[in-house]
Amino acid sequence: MAGLELLSDQGYRVDGRRAGELRKIQARMGVFAQADGSAYIEQGNTKALAVVYGPHEIRGSRSRALPDRALVNCQYSSATFSTGERKRRAHGDRKSCEMGLQLRQTFEAAILTQLHPRSQIDIYVQVLQADGGTYAACVNAATLAVLDAGIPMRDFVCACSAGFVDGTALADLSHVEEAAGGPQLALALLPASGQIALLEMDARLHEDHLEWVLEAAAQAARDVHTLLDRVVRQHVREASILLGD
Amino acid sequence: MLQKREKVLLLRTFRGRTLRIVREHYLRACVPCHSPLCALPAACSHDGKLLSSDVTHYVIPDWKVVQDYLEILEFPELKGIIFMQTACQAVQHQRGRRQYNRLRSLLKDTRHDCILFANEFQEQCYLPREKGEAVEKWQTRSIYNAAVWYYHHCGDRMPIVMVTEDAEAIEQYGSETQGVFVISFKDYLDNFWPDLSAAHELCESILQSRRARESESQESHGREYAEHLPLEVLEAGIRLGRYVQGTLNVNKYRAQIEAFVRLQGASSKDSGLASDILIHGMKARNRAIHGDVVVVELLPKGEWKGRTGALCDNDSEDKASSEAPSEPMPTGRVVGILQKNWRDYVVTFPSKEEVQSQGKNAQKILVSPWDYRIPKIRISTQQAEALQDFRVIVHIDSWESTSLYPNGHFVRVLGRIGDLEGEIATILVENSISVTPFSEAQLCETPVNTPEKPWQVSAEEERRRRDLRRTHLVFSIDPKGCEDVDDALSVRTLSNGDLELGVHIADVTHFVASNSYIDVKARTRATTYYLADRRYDMLPSVLSADLCSLLGGVDRYAVSVMWQLDKTSYEIKTVWYGRTIIRSAYKLCYEAAQELLDRNFGIVDEIPELKNLDEKSKQARLEELAGAIERLTDIARHVRAKRNRCGALELEGVEVRVQLDDKNNIHDLIPKQPLEVHETVAECMILANHWVAKKIWESFPHQALLRQHPPPHQEFFAELRKCAAAKGFTIDTRSNKALADSLDKAEDPTDPMVNRLLRSMATQAMSNALYFSSGSCAEEEFHHYGLALDKYTHFTSPIRRYSDIIVHRLLMAAIAKDEKMELKENLLSNKDLEELCRHINNRNRAAQHAQKQSTELFQCMYFKDKDPETEERCIADGIIYSIRTNGVLVFIPRFGIKGAAYLKNKDCLVMACGRDSCLEWKPGSLQRFQDRIISTTTGGESVTLHLFDHVTVRISVQASRCHSDTIRLELVSNKPHKDPNSELSQPSPLLLKSDLVREVTRCAEEAQLAQEVVAHAIPEEEYLEYRQTKGRSLYMLLEEIRDLALLDVSGDCGM
Repeated sequence: MAGLELLSDQGYRVDGRRAGELRKIQARMGVFAQADGSAYIEQGNTKALAVVYGPHEIRGSRSRALPDRALVNCQYSSATFSTGERKRRAHGDRKSCEMGLQLRQTFEAAILTQLHPRSQIDIYVQVLQADGGTYAACVNAATLAVLDAGIPMRDFVCACSAGFVDGTALADLSHVEEAAGGPQLALALLPASGQIALLEMDARLHEDHLEWVLEAAAQAARDVHTLLDRVVRQHVREASILLGD
Repeated sequence: MLQKREKVLLLRTFRGRTLRIVREHYLRACVPCHSPLCALPAACSHDGKLLSSDVTHYVIPDWKVVQDYLEILEFPELKGIIFMQTACQAVQHQRGRRQYNRLRSLLKDTRHDCILFANEFQEQCYLPREKGEAVEKWQTRSIYNAAVWYYHHCGDRMPIVMVTEDAEAIEQYGSETQGVFVISFKDYLDNFWPDLSAAHELCESILQSRRARESESQESHGREYAEHLPLEVLEAGIRLGRYVQGTLNVNKYRAQIEAFVRLQGASSKDSGLASDILIHGMKARNRAIHGDVVVVELLPKGEWKGRTGALCDNDSEDKASSEAPSEPMPTGRVVGILQKNWRDYVVTFPSKEEVQSQGKNAQKILVSPWDYRIPKIRISTQQAEALQDFRVIVHIDSWESTSLYPNGHFVRVLGRIGDLEGEIATILVENSISVTPFSEAQLCETPVNTPEKPWQVSAEEERRRRDLRRTHLVFSIDPKGCEDVDDALSVRTLSNGDLELGVHIADVTHFVASNSYIDVKARTRATTYYLADRRYDMLPSVLSADLCSLLGGVDRYAVSVMWQLDKTSYEIKTVWYGRTIIRSAYKLCYEAAQELLDRNFGIVDEIPELKNLDEKSKQARLEELAGAIERLTDIARHVRAKRNRCGALELEGVEVRVQLDDKNNIHDLIPKQPLEVHETVAECMILANHWVAKKIWESFPHQALLRQHPPPHQEFFAELRKCAAAKGFTIDTRSNKALADSLDKAEDPTDPMVNRLLRSMATQAMSNALYFSSGSCAEEEFHHYGLALDKYTHFTSPIRRYSDIIVHRLLMAAIAKDEKMELKENLLSNKDLEELCRHINNRNRAAQHAQKQSTELFQCMYFKDKDPETEERCIADGIIYSIRTNGVLVFIPRFGIKGAAYLKNKDCLVMACGRDSCLEWKPGSLQRFQDRIISTTTGGESVTLHLFDHVTVRISVQASRCHSDTIRLELVSNKPHKDPNSELSQPSPLLLKSDLVREVTRCAEEAQLAQEVVAHAIPEEEYLEYRQTKGRSLYMLLEEIRDLALLDVSGDCGM
């Protein structure tokens, strides 16, 4: 695969999208009955499942309880069949720990934790298929699951990745684009206020270009928000019909 | 809006397992079709180039056609070509990056009527590959489907021809849709382009070479070379340090045996190898060709070999064996080629006798490339006999491991062997210089300036520009008869007593808009090419010699840099950049300006502008002009002194002297006092370049085009130090200042040539000055070693150099930025600019090589008809500048020729002293020392030759059928040559190169006249015109330093 052209002269990416276009997003809320909240999302071929329990009492050692706010506990795992090569991943390896921490930071910024002091909120995310932008998919799935659980949040948290190829910022990278090794930026945004919940950057990028990439990622995150908002409204409408209102 | 599909790919992993990968594939309704007949132009939203509307049909090549016949599709006659994305991707995957980039640049080229249609992203054109379907079949099916869609999309108005090599497809799809025809490529050429014979020939030759290849692969007999390793293994090996990567450089003088790999970037640091790696023999070279990027495995130390220091010809295959090689150096063998750097090669067919000796396989013929470094190429053709006396171009197709030589095919004929035009065309092709004349479309863009319709300054421009026509005395100083004046000067005293110095440069960018046809053409040429007898302009002559040229007495647009200087200290107070209108009052030549500077008003008749004035006003005007030149010289002296204090290399001052002294003759190394005006003008240009460099760098720190001159490597000075030591001088090369000082001291009062030779050795040791983009380099590396400036660029010759055009655009953008105006044009990004710089550097190098080779060609043609035994001119005085094991390298100042003279011939006879100190061949032996060589005969007599000794040599030409002729030198006597009429000819002791050129051209023309009845003699004035612009400004100066440097005609080997 010598020199795969990530962005053609005509402005198409490998999979036929243009620079700012997102992959197809499909999502469902309330996929599990026994959990407090759950959601499933597909961003292109990246598929993630999120489950939320809580707020409930602190499990395990009581000393972890925070006096003024709720503890957000995030766990990330990915299925053995999620990548091209089948690979068993040990539970709690470095990558999933890191991802768990990132998710935790993201959601501590979004959930109104001070409403539930000395309690715990669990968010479990599993990636069923990884095709680029796993962090973004996890955040988006978890947002829907938290909403489904009815836990109060400041705002949606919408995440999207962006990269930089040949002087152009690309939104929502797929696995092929990530594997090429260019700079890659992950952004979690609170769309209504425009606040950034998390921003992470791999590889080196000239600071002159950062602004464009950031803007591309933010625009993509706002687009994601529109879609998620539609999903939530649809879900609420269906739920209210079922309840017979 | 987008539809998602999934593509399943099966890939092989590193470990050899198959991997099933699912990739998304998005389809859309609207993909730009780039056709003017488009039914929904709003939805297609075209930008970029459109197909032209005056074609009779569109042609869609199948993937196989694009792969195999791209050269034919590149013909500008073929119009309305639609490349399907499927076909392009097939090229990318199967033919590699080089071919794909060629296709990409073809698509980007606005002159060529072809577009790319992204059929795989269009919802109706996309066809998923069915299970079990071969890729080839699917590609053909997709392309046909897209062709049908395209036909309907254009409203069924334009017939479409799909050309394919697949007979099944022709049968299957041929009559499926009306208006979409499917035929083979051969039929297409026959039916639509019956007159395009060049394309037919090319097609035939490609077909034949393919057939030959196929039949050969079936035979597959014993291996000649080891297989190349797969790419993954190479990359892993490089990372682990087992292999090293570098560019292959074949030794010109021992092409069969020696090649060197110059290490690239990181690998040289890691491996700890200081020098290049020797690749010994063709087997170890393993099918790599000069210029390829190769991967090398080092051999164990026991197998390391040394390079040979002896002089030798290329003809004899293995003579190095008898010589004792120098100490062993790292030796390796090629295990893989990362990037092939194959281009078109000029070759010669073997003569009749040789063909017969090749005998049994008359269809396949081995041809010898003009360039020694390229191996012989095997081609299949039936025209061998007809093409015997011609230089032809061939293209290398492949080199299998089973084949001793590469396979190629015949492309086109250049000209007869030995014919001037043919040889010049050869030089151009070998340097990849294309000199197609300016097309109609390009000339249409130029403004007209004819006596009936004179060009005028437009009122709008008059408003926008600063008008200097009445306020400033502007004049230009150039060589005699110069037409393309791109710089003019002015100086005046301001009301507060300060001085205002102005440098005015022709405003080429006003006429050459970015990305216009002329711009594209100029960019591909990148520079004006000067050959010995002709030049190829970068811009059409209406611009270069007329509208852009700052001629005397007419209004011209200019870009000016004006400094306000303190009246006493000449410190620069302020600087102003901007567009202006000027009217040059005088167009002076250097000599006249110098006379004025010396207050010698006798030359007044040589200034045409003053002819029709009465005596009194003439005197006043002269006084004014002379005053201005004086002030200018004063300022220049000052600026120069300041630069010298910072450690500017005085070296190039000497080069100025050498270079500018003899406008036409770059070989004139005879000492001559330089005119101070030359330095004055050069200094003003350096100042302007420097300040513009500062300005554009400040405004655009990441995308300014600058010029750097890296400090030289100390080890390159070793030979210089050795040579100087032979004469008892020491050369300090630690800094540019120290070098300049010690060179000044190394003066032999009895022989001025010694200093000159030392200086040219020093210049040869220097690195090349290069253009670069400021974003790609750390600021410390911007430094210009030769000029001792922190930032430098080229701004002052936009008529002759494309880099200056870019700099002009940058400067205009910088001014607009200062005034907070919208930027009119998009500037090149750092990456694009870097690529452009690489291109310009590359073209400059090609221009130098072409110039050097054409000079050598003329030298050979000059001596060819002379009988060396009788002709007096063929005996000349030479000076030894290097000692080798079996001979010496000699420089002949009179003709500017450098070459090797042997002291030991093929029969192992050595030179011995005969009567009257004449040298003759006798059996004996040679002894070589650091600074002398002693030849002793068996009889006991001996001759000693020292470095820098003057000897008498006889010049003859060694004719060669396949390559360029070479000059051969033979020692006649070890005493300086006594010219019988030396006293007489002392004032002009040398045969000017221009005379040489003229004489050769005349001979060539006479020959032509004899052959043809219709003669078109070129008037003599044209030569004057051709010679004029050489060596006028700094550009030529810096570039020709390399030319001046003693590049051997025949002996670059050893040491």
